[in-house]
Amino acid sequence: MMSFDVLFNQFLSGIARAALLFLVASGLSLTFGVLRVLNFSHGSLYMLGAFVTYSVWKVLLIPVVGFYIATILASLIMGLIGILIEFFLLRRLYARGWPEQLLATYAIVLIITDIVKWGWGGEFLSIPRPPPFKGAVFLFGFPFPSYNFFVILLGLILVIVLWWLVYKTRLGDIIRAAAHDREMVSALGIPIPWLFTWIFVLGSIIAGLSGAVTAPFGSIALGMDIEIIVECFAVVVIGGMGSLPGTLLGSFIVGQVYAFGIMFKPELALAFIFMVMAAVLIIRPWGIFGRPER
Amino acid sequence: MAEPILQTFNITKDFGKLRAVNQVNLDVKKGDIHAIIGPNGAGKSTFFNLITGYHKVTEGKVFYKGSEITPLPAYQRCQRGITRSFQITSIYPKLTVYESVLMGLLAHRRKTLTFFPSAKKFFKEEVWKILEDVGLANQANVLGESISHGDKKRLELAITLGTEPEILLLDEPTCGMSPEETESTMIFIRRLVNEKGLTILFTEHDMSVVFGIARRISVLHQGTLIADGTPEQVRNSEEVQRVYLGGVA
Amino acid sequence: MKNRSWLKKNGWLILLIVGFLIAPFVISKFYITILCEAMVMSLFALSFNLLFGYMGQLSFGQAAFYGLGGYAVAMLMTKLQFNFWLSLVAGVGLASLVGLIVGYFCVRLRGIYFAVLTLAFGQLIFVIIFKWHDFTGGDDGIQGVFPPEYLKSIEAYYYLIFFVFALSTLVLWRLVNSPFGQTLKAMRENSERTEFLGIHIARYQLIAFVIAAAFAGLAGAIWVPFYRSVAPSYLTWIKSGEPVMAAILGGPNVFLGPVLGMFIMTFIHAYILGFTHFWPIIMGTIILIIIFVLPGGILGFAKEKLKEKRDIQNQEQVGRRSG
Repeated sequence: MMSFDVLFNQFLSGIARAALLFLVASGLSLTFGVLRVLNFSHGSLYMLGAFVTYSVWKVLLIPVVGFYIATILASLIMGLIGILIEFFLLRRLYARGWPEQLLATYAIVLIITDIVKWGWGGEFLSIPRPPPFKGAVFLFGFPFPSYNFFVILLGLILVIVLWWLVYKTRLGDIIRAAAHDREMVSALGIPIPWLFTWIFVLGSIIAGLSGAVTAPFGSIALGMDIEIIVECFAVVVIGGMGSLPGTLLGSFIVGQVYAFGIMFKPELALAFIFMVMAAVLIIRPWGIFGRPER
Repeated sequence: MAEPILQTFNITKDFGKLRAVNQVNLDVKKGDIHAIIGPNGAGKSTFFNLITGYHKVTEGKVFYKGSEITPLPAYQRCQRGITRSFQITSIYPKLTVYESVLMGLLAHRRKTLTFFPSAKKFFKEEVWKILEDVGLANQANVLGESISHGDKKRLELAITLGTEPEILLLDEPTCGMSPEETESTMIFIRRLVNEKGLTILFTEHDMSVVFGIARRISVLHQGTLIADGTPEQVRNSEEVQRVYLGGVA
Repeated sequence: MKNRSWLKKNGWLILLIVGFLIAPFVISKFYITILCEAMVMSLFALSFNLLFGYMGQLSFGQAAFYGLGGYAVAMLMTKLQFNFWLSLVAGVGLASLVGLIVGYFCVRLRGIYFAVLTLAFGQLIFVIIFKWHDFTGGDDGIQGVFPPEYLKSIEAYYYLIFFVFALSTLVLWRLVNSPFGQTLKAMRENSERTEFLGIHIARYQLIAFVIAAAFAGLAGAIWVPFYRSVAPSYLTWIKSGEPVMAAILGGPNVFLGPVLGMFIMTFIHAYILGFTHFWPIIMGTIILIIIFVLPGGILGFAKEKLKEKRDIQNQEQVGRRSG
């Protein structure tokens, strides 16, 4: 029989994974909620964020704070790229159908893939965990990387910040209204194009940030974009696309299923996620917090 | 008089806390031209949606030709002979007028699971007959999106006729039409009933249309049926006059 | 008179068929191989476009069925020494079966949600094949899938591929013009209106989904013995993206649009790989150019121009008749 501490350990690693997933998926969901554009390239910005963090960290080589400076810089650079993508591509496609928007972001995925390949090569890179999160915390006698707690903490901070932004500020009122009825918001004299740009930039910064935070977790490599985006799709499909609480719940579910799936049969951990997704869809085709579209 | 083709028993629809349709009992008689009227937001469209299966009822039952259809999904109700038009004209923008009407026939005569013969070979006579009846024959090869608004309304009517309905629910059939178009549509609706024995249930804002062709009128107000009878009876109903003339109390 | 107009209308098709039939005598083995790849990928793209161009739903997981067809053939032939033809049938069967299961979930959703769900299921199938090393060979794939002796030469297999491609194209052509195809188009144009004509939307979408999966499976099944091997990369979302691109490049609303798109892409790919491995960035750029410069794709654009010309002629005729 599984002892309680093993299960608890698995639960904690599930939470850490959920936090990371939430970091990435919240940006994706935010963009979708307001712009109604499903941004395939969100995962690419995440990947690029990780690579840029690596390079900045390597160039700076500043002890202790080097990683944090690199993280902030990488996030901001992703924000800048976000501005470019929104301004030069997406903005011209809002009047067209969603397939064109989706394909444009898919094109960006392909382009960023090659940029990364060209700029960093196909090798695996890694960054050591930054202080003060180098060591492990012992829980019930099991070592648990303290960096995971940093990620969980960051996830919690982002939950609170986004919750405050969406439900407590005037911008949040506009965001929620725009998700509901874009024309009405426009009729009220709010400049929709700029709202869209800033939301997209915010999403891109979040993507960059989550990529940076992932860097010391495992390896930085080509293909991490697709891996994360597919899991994020699972998160938002389970939770309901464009819903903040849905993204939170979806991340929690996927994180836990993954953590316990790995314990059960590592090869099929991802498969379990999709089985849960299928089960949710049978009961609620629009996700747990999703609204049906008729 | 003829037996009722459609009956509702206490049908009710709640959207959250809002009660859009409240315990409506209504009989629609076979071969009748039956109008549902009421001020904006009276629940006319919702009532239509409950009959055609667009929405599920919160409470109550719908009977069609004596058997209950409340649990049936929309497409099955249509297969049984209940077809509707939509308030916001619902056509096929990128199909030709001919193809659009053909679609109704293919659907009703269960040919849609035919995989190899060309669709063009099916029901030529029937399609042309309908196109001529509604006056769209000269635009048969034009795309649905490129015809005038009035013609789009007529096209939707033609599409629904392809399903060879027994009862046709028309949601504002003359909305946005010119007076001439309205007139010809009214004549056409009367012809459908007289020649084919169709039953028509319709909503309409234009009172001249309602009193021009309806043989029976039901009035909804805030989701509740407040009057039901011949045009004469409805015109003289105090309740109706209060609602329409006295404003919303 | 009638014969001549038929010839005039279909002459290009006959020329094309004759061209394909004599090609092996004219061009080098390298280009025969490229032609084979283009035909197989075109069939794959046509299967995708049944859903995208005709039904109006974008599947981003179509490669899963392509890959399953290929894997079924490879595994049956190498592990069980199965008959080549039976393996092809089994490949189509497996793709259809999985298409039925995946489709059951996907047809509940429309639009972006459909795209995401097909992508997710596609990745799921990819991950299972990729990680299940003992059974599928994992990232090594399966090598040594040989067709029977009489099909071992490139030319012989070329004719097999051409036959399968031509026949499938004909079947799909009949399908999209049949009452069923008409129903798919109607669902694309206005699913609500169609539902209220008595059509059970989800059922028709599921049927189309399974048909598309079957043809994608056929494409994969026929390709693997020609290429002698199969790898998990056949099921990735990059592979799923290829028919999407072919369709928008050639024109999703014209039946042969995806075929033209795939031929162009395959030949550019073969040409470019000679001096660079940066293929994705080129594909990405092509997509952006098509979206912004040529919406509707090449054939869509050509058709539009042709129609404008015909409309003007028609109007002149109508004017003359009524005048």
